[in-house]
Amino acid sequence: MSSYVSPIREPLITGSKSYHDITEDLVSPTEKVPSASWVIGFVLAISALAVGLFCIAWTIWHGIGTWNLNRTVGWGWDITNFVWWIGIGHAGTLISAILLLFRQKWRTGVNRAAEAMTIFAVICAALFPGIHVGRAWVVFYFFPYPNTRGPLWPNFNSPLLWDLFAISTYFTVSLLFWYTGLVPDFATVRDRAKGFRKKIYNFLSFGWTGAAKHWQRWEYLSLVLAGVATPLVLSVHTIVSFDFATSVIPGWHTTIFPPYFVAGAIFSGFAMVLTLMIVTRKILNLQDYITIAHIESMNKVILATGTIVGVAYLTELFIAWYSGYVYEQFAFFNRALGPYWWSYFGMMACNVITPQFFWFRKIRRSIFWTFLLSIVVNIGMWFERFVIIATTLARDYLPSSWSYYSPTWVEMGIYLGTFGLFFTFYLLFTRVAPVVAIAEVKSILKSSGNQYSGKAEPGHHHAHVTVDPHFKSYLNKSSYDYARDDKGNLSYGSTAPSRTSRLVEDEGEKSSTASTLASTASTLAADDLKKIEGIGPKIAEALNASGITTFAQLSETTTERLQEILDTSEGNYKGNNPESWAMQAKLAADGNWDELKDLQERLDGGKFA
Amino acid sequence: MQNNQVWVGQKDLTNDQEFLNSIDREFKDDITTLEKAPELQGNRRDFLKMLGFGVTAATVAAGCDIPVKKALPYVTKPDSIIPGVATFYATTFVEGGDVEPILVKTREGRPIKIEGNDSLSKTGGTSARAQASVLSLYNIKRYRQPQLKDGTAFANSDWATIDKKVKDALKSGNKVKVITNTIVSPTSKKALASLSENYSGVSVITYDPVSYAGILDANLADFGKRAIPTYHFDKAKVIVSFDADFLGSWLPNGDVSADYIAGRDVSDVTAVKMSRHFQVESHMSLTGSNADNRVLVRPSQMGSAIAYLASKIVGGGNVQLPPTIKSKLDKVENQLRAAGSKGLVVSASNNSAEQQLVNAINHAIGAYGTTVSMNNANLSRQGDEADLGALITELKSNAIDVVIFNQCNPLYDYAGAAALANALTKVKTKIAIGYADNETNAVCDIIAPVNHYLESWGDAQPTEGTIYLQQPTISKIFDTRQLEEIIMGWTGDTTQAVDFLKTSWKTDRFATQSKYLSPTSFWENSLKKGGQVSTSGTAASYNGGGISGLISRVTKPSTSELEIKFFETSQMANGQSADNPWLMEMPDPVARTSWGNYLAVPVNFDGTRTMVGLNNLKDGDLVEVTVGDIKYTVPVIQQFGMHPETVALALGYGRSNSSPVANDVGVNVNASLPIVNGRAQYFSDRVSVTNQIGKEKSFSCVQYHHTYGVKGTDEATGETINADEAATVFVTYGAVQQGFQGAITDRSVIYNSNVKDLTDSVKHLKEKRGHAQYLNDQGMYPYEEYMEDKYSQGHHWGMHVDLNSCTGCGACTVACMAENNVPVVGKREVSRHHEMTWLRIDRYYYGDVENPNVVYQPMMCQHCDNAPCENVCPVNATNHSSEGLNQMTYNRCVGTRYCANNCPYKVRRFNWMDYTTADLFPANQPAMGLDTEIPFYGDDLTRMVLNPDVTVRVRGVIEKCSFCVQRLQEGKLTAKKEGRRLQDSDVKTACAAACNTDAITFGDMNNKGGDLSKKLKSPLNYIALEEINVKSSVTYTMKVNNRDITLDA
Repeated sequence: MSSYVSPIREPLITGSKSYHDITEDLVSPTEKVPSASWVIGFVLAISALAVGLFCIAWTIWHGIGTWNLNRTVGWGWDITNFVWWIGIGHAGTLISAILLLFRQKWRTGVNRAAEAMTIFAVICAALFPGIHVGRAWVVFYFFPYPNTRGPLWPNFNSPLLWDLFAISTYFTVSLLFWYTGLVPDFATVRDRAKGFRKKIYNFLSFGWTGAAKHWQRWEYLSLVLAGVATPLVLSVHTIVSFDFATSVIPGWHTTIFPPYFVAGAIFSGFAMVLTLMIVTRKILNLQDYITIAHIESMNKVILATGTIVGVAYLTELFIAWYSGYVYEQFAFFNRALGPYWWSYFGMMACNVITPQFFWFRKIRRSIFWTFLLSIVVNIGMWFERFVIIATTLARDYLPSSWSYYSPTWVEMGIYLGTFGLFFTFYLLFTRVAPVVAIAEVKSILKSSGNQYSGKAEPGHHHAHVTVDPHFKSYLNKSSYDYARDDKGNLSYGSTAPSRTSRLVEDEGEKSSTASTLASTASTLAADDLKKIEGIGPKIAEALNASGITTFAQLSETTTERLQEILDTSEGNYKGNNPESWAMQAKLAADGNWDELKDLQERLDGGKFA
Repeated sequence: MQNNQVWVGQKDLTNDQEFLNSIDREFKDDITTLEKAPELQGNRRDFLKMLGFGVTAATVAAGCDIPVKKALPYVTKPDSIIPGVATFYATTFVEGGDVEPILVKTREGRPIKIEGNDSLSKTGGTSARAQASVLSLYNIKRYRQPQLKDGTAFANSDWATIDKKVKDALKSGNKVKVITNTIVSPTSKKALASLSENYSGVSVITYDPVSYAGILDANLADFGKRAIPTYHFDKAKVIVSFDADFLGSWLPNGDVSADYIAGRDVSDVTAVKMSRHFQVESHMSLTGSNADNRVLVRPSQMGSAIAYLASKIVGGGNVQLPPTIKSKLDKVENQLRAAGSKGLVVSASNNSAEQQLVNAINHAIGAYGTTVSMNNANLSRQGDEADLGALITELKSNAIDVVIFNQCNPLYDYAGAAALANALTKVKTKIAIGYADNETNAVCDIIAPVNHYLESWGDAQPTEGTIYLQQPTISKIFDTRQLEEIIMGWTGDTTQAVDFLKTSWKTDRFATQSKYLSPTSFWENSLKKGGQVSTSGTAASYNGGGISGLISRVTKPSTSELEIKFFETSQMANGQSADNPWLMEMPDPVARTSWGNYLAVPVNFDGTRTMVGLNNLKDGDLVEVTVGDIKYTVPVIQQFGMHPETVALALGYGRSNSSPVANDVGVNVNASLPIVNGRAQYFSDRVSVTNQIGKEKSFSCVQYHHTYGVKGTDEATGETINADEAATVFVTYGAVQQGFQGAITDRSVIYNSNVKDLTDSVKHLKEKRGHAQYLNDQGMYPYEEYMEDKYSQGHHWGMHVDLNSCTGCGACTVACMAENNVPVVGKREVSRHHEMTWLRIDRYYYGDVENPNVVYQPMMCQHCDNAPCENVCPVNATNHSSEGLNQMTYNRCVGTRYCANNCPYKVRRFNWMDYTTADLFPANQPAMGLDTEIPFYGDDLTRMVLNPDVTVRVRGVIEKCSFCVQRLQEGKLTAKKEGRRLQDSDVKTACAAACNTDAITFGDMNNKGGDLSKKLKSPLNYIALEEINVKSSVTYTMKVNNRDITLDA
């Protein structure tokens, strides 16, 4: 059974969530009145969008001459932003398609938001080819539609045309994939909704009943779409890179571009996912679903792709030297040492050096550093596209035509506008759809929920995992092919099993099995948490109630989470600071009692002196 | 029943029953079935719906304002005009003393293009100014009728009124001064003479906007003839020019350029016949940029340099000069002496003693008779501004009653303009015969508007033995008169101008020839041809004496820290055509700046990686220049090849009372010209330049990188390195200091060689090309097969550009603008690199960083047979013709600019805004940066210059050189009608036609015996960027210089 999880693997869902908790946590943001921070964010986003729309109108009315592009540099911020946004989208597709095929369970926590991000990013990107042309009103010439001009077809040799097909396909598949995933979740929302809202969600959920056949078809559709989307992860940015690679301009004319662009896209995409998710999980209180483990996984992807990108940069430099071709050599010389040296430096620093910090586990698992570095990576990847586009064009073959380019307020305004567009969509998305895929998260609860997995061993005894007989019987018992809703009634709702195992069902809150199981597990494995300096009997009780019963569990719990437990428990624990508890618990769990003693001597009531 | 005998058919006759029935029923089908026809079903409500929709739709549609474009057909078509077919007239371009025989292309009665007249000039080329003159015809600010000053402003008047007023003013007894620039027309002179005959007290003062009085006086002294000699640069082996910009702005230079290039023949690389050209100057002039060696002296040392050379060659005198200059001049002297009568010395000095020294040198080496001739002297400059100085004195004493300005502008271009303006206030009546507003006309009381030369009859005599004819090519657009008619109006003569000209032609010129027997056939044939050339001139012999007296009269070298040189640019001269947008936008060939004058400051390499300008000034910095007491705020351009203690500033800009095109563009430096003995001197030592005080907002220079391998010394290692390549580094990260050596010079854009190294260079070129071709042959698609398939039949157009023939004058660029309706974009847009020129001339400095050589490279679409622009266009807007042309389909273009990005030559131009007012939106038409009211081409008068054969492009589309495809089509059509194959000499592109030196050869590469094929045989040929395999159709030649490297020591 796929639910077996290696004991060293961290739980992907913490907080001992029940199925009902998951539904509550994930659906409630769509049901509550928006928070003040959401409203502020939305107003800012709409304002930025308004600025962007004004600048676009300005461009179309007054001509591309309102931008600072010139006879030498025909593309600047427009195409830089286009490629950047397209790249941002890649993480969503990678997470939803490739990680699905690879059965990566941690994808369930972030795939929904990442896919949404893909769609919004592609919309932002697709804006630029439309408005950067000189005559936006005849942009339909791009499309191979039957016409009376000969018929006159577009030029199928042109990479721009390939782009059109690649991006429209990408957009369509991503949208389908995203929406397919949303259908059961919309049904969940519908089941909880009333009145007109219920009607809307009823429509959006396409009459989903949770029937086995639905689930089966849904699984197949997901699989098919994943199969279709997987090549798209590679093809879209490959084709975008062809815009440059098929040209004759030194610095563009490079065969390394397709893999390098794809790696760069995933790199920037994950960075953007992280930027967004770190904010989202905080604001929507999703720390239990998007855990440090998720963040760490994504940081590993960033580290890998960032390193690929770094190797690509160095390969380019090497090949330029090795080719003996003066134009190529100068193009790279000029990038590094020419008038745009700052953008090359920015690119190298942000994309090659900073991701290397993720070799350190502490940084990988630090919210602060991850957030900071994800933004740095986004900036770096923007610089990369700027370096490739503007600095290459600014000094190409004929020295007589060398030029310099810096944007006007109109170009900057349009870029700002795409942020507005993106965040407007994203903020609306957080209001209308569950930000985390409910059905998918539920499907991994039993295998990756913290109460079911992880190191459930007492004290310093290691290794063997004993499966509680109750749990076994539970698994057997639950192999029924029906589902119950949150109220325990048998229903065709959506609080349903997984894409992968399909059969596990949920007894809901009224079923005592889960809680019995949890309490049984805790009785069996409980450590005396009072051995941790700063934890008294009351706190120990509170921790136990929150599912933390062993030193091992305590050592894995973040300080924030502990503080949260303290805050939500009865009693006044204002004087208690849990910052050292995990460290102490770690030592206790590992059996390093002497070291723990030393540490406790240095502590003052559990606080660092 | 039909009983009568009238029947209409057999059935009628036989009373067929069916037929009879049908007669009763006229409408064969039941009307009720018609009513059921579905398309007619409807009722009142439907009608109202349709009505409502129709009215609404019509209202909405009518609300869209579609601009009204006027196009009127001929009511009665003139016999001589076939719509769509151009008519050419031979006439003559005259601007001051500058004269060029031309052909004028007219379409439907509108002159639209100037071509050279190759039956009268050496190569049939023209200057940039002649090319642009057709636009002046449609100057929206030209006078449309006589003007009378009413208070401070002018009011429209009519000829009768002003004629009467003028006649009253001229009444005998009054002292009248006519002020004019050089008049080269015998007929105009005759008309002016008639004024003196009719009124006593009339005298004429002639001066030139840029003075040639020094040389005129010198020749008067030495030859008894106040004229400028004609020079034969083709016969010269050694040319020494003291500051004379004879290829640029010094004297009319069409045939001079042709001669000069003829003397530099590299067509046979085994036997190069190349003159050696030394240019002694202080700033980089167009001529200096073409020279082999330049000897840099301060402007005030010029006289001493002439004197030193004279003292060495003629003997006698002792001249003080720095030893480095002396040693260089010694070498010049050796070579000049060796050349003997094949030597030639020219000078632009306005000091007659210096000019007499030049005469003495030319005489001593025996140049008179071979390279210099006073027999058929040049009459294009006759003025003496000292007369204006004298006039001021007279004016001050209230001795003058009337002043008439004939098409001149002394209040702008005379060095003593302020004093003159002051003195003129005492004159009762000031009359201007003028074309458009200028500083002088503004102070006049009466303005008699004069025709454009394209509306006039006339003649012009540039040299003693040459006389050209002018004929109108369009009837007068406005209520103007030509000069002769204006004067005759004042003398009461009612002769028509054409008759006046005919009479003088018949009486004065008929006798000088023997070819034609009757005056009428002489007149008609001359008119058709454009004029008459005879070789006769009056002989003159040198009667100069010793030189020691002259040496004492040369300019004393100054010891000031800095000197400033004032110079004419070839496009702007001294501002006569400053209101011509084509010339304003044409970049200065040397500095590559447009729309204004820029202070040229010397630049040097700091030994590491910076080109340091004087006072650390950089391109586009604003500085304050103080000359004498006058302060100017001007932008800076770093200029290579300047004397390190000299800055330079062009004349002709900073007009204050002209059209919006010229007003306040640049600064007027005429007021700073020192007047020595009444003569303007074009330099000053009373100058200081501040450090940077700001940045020019619209620094309209079209080339930011100027060099192609200038060599300097590396400070750290002492090695000679390519300084410009070191200067491509902006930041070192502590690593690279010398730049990437080879970054620019290893490119296959420019090849150059010294004559001495030619064998090696040809070998090197062959290797480089061989390598490129080897690489190109590795492709998947064999080019030969493709060529065979595509272009072996019919035409395969190509072009050859001889970099050795190109002087960089820029006439081709203006010709291209005129031919192809290339828009003018204005100063701001040029500064943003939005210029639209299809043809540009790239200028690169190479060699010694302090004293470099220059190469000019005309760069236009290369019509690549494997064009990178074509395959990237998503909508097929640019594609390839079966004749090898890279074509643009404007109305298909969406404007992605991908093609422009992918063009290795960067020749594609994007319509960033609506430069031509061809768009429906009015909002995106940029003004030319000056007049916010009218964008270029924004009015119907200017639009008359448009070539109807070429589409006016809308904003948002790409455009580029088409190899003048409209001319190709026309040529093919002509050949077809004549039933023959088109020969490549039948068609010339506008640029090739305009070139005075035949540097551009256009033709059919499939025509093996044609002009182009001959040019393509030279081993000096190369294809720019050959290794990228774009299969360009334009071939360049290696630039060969004849630099004497011993002078560099």
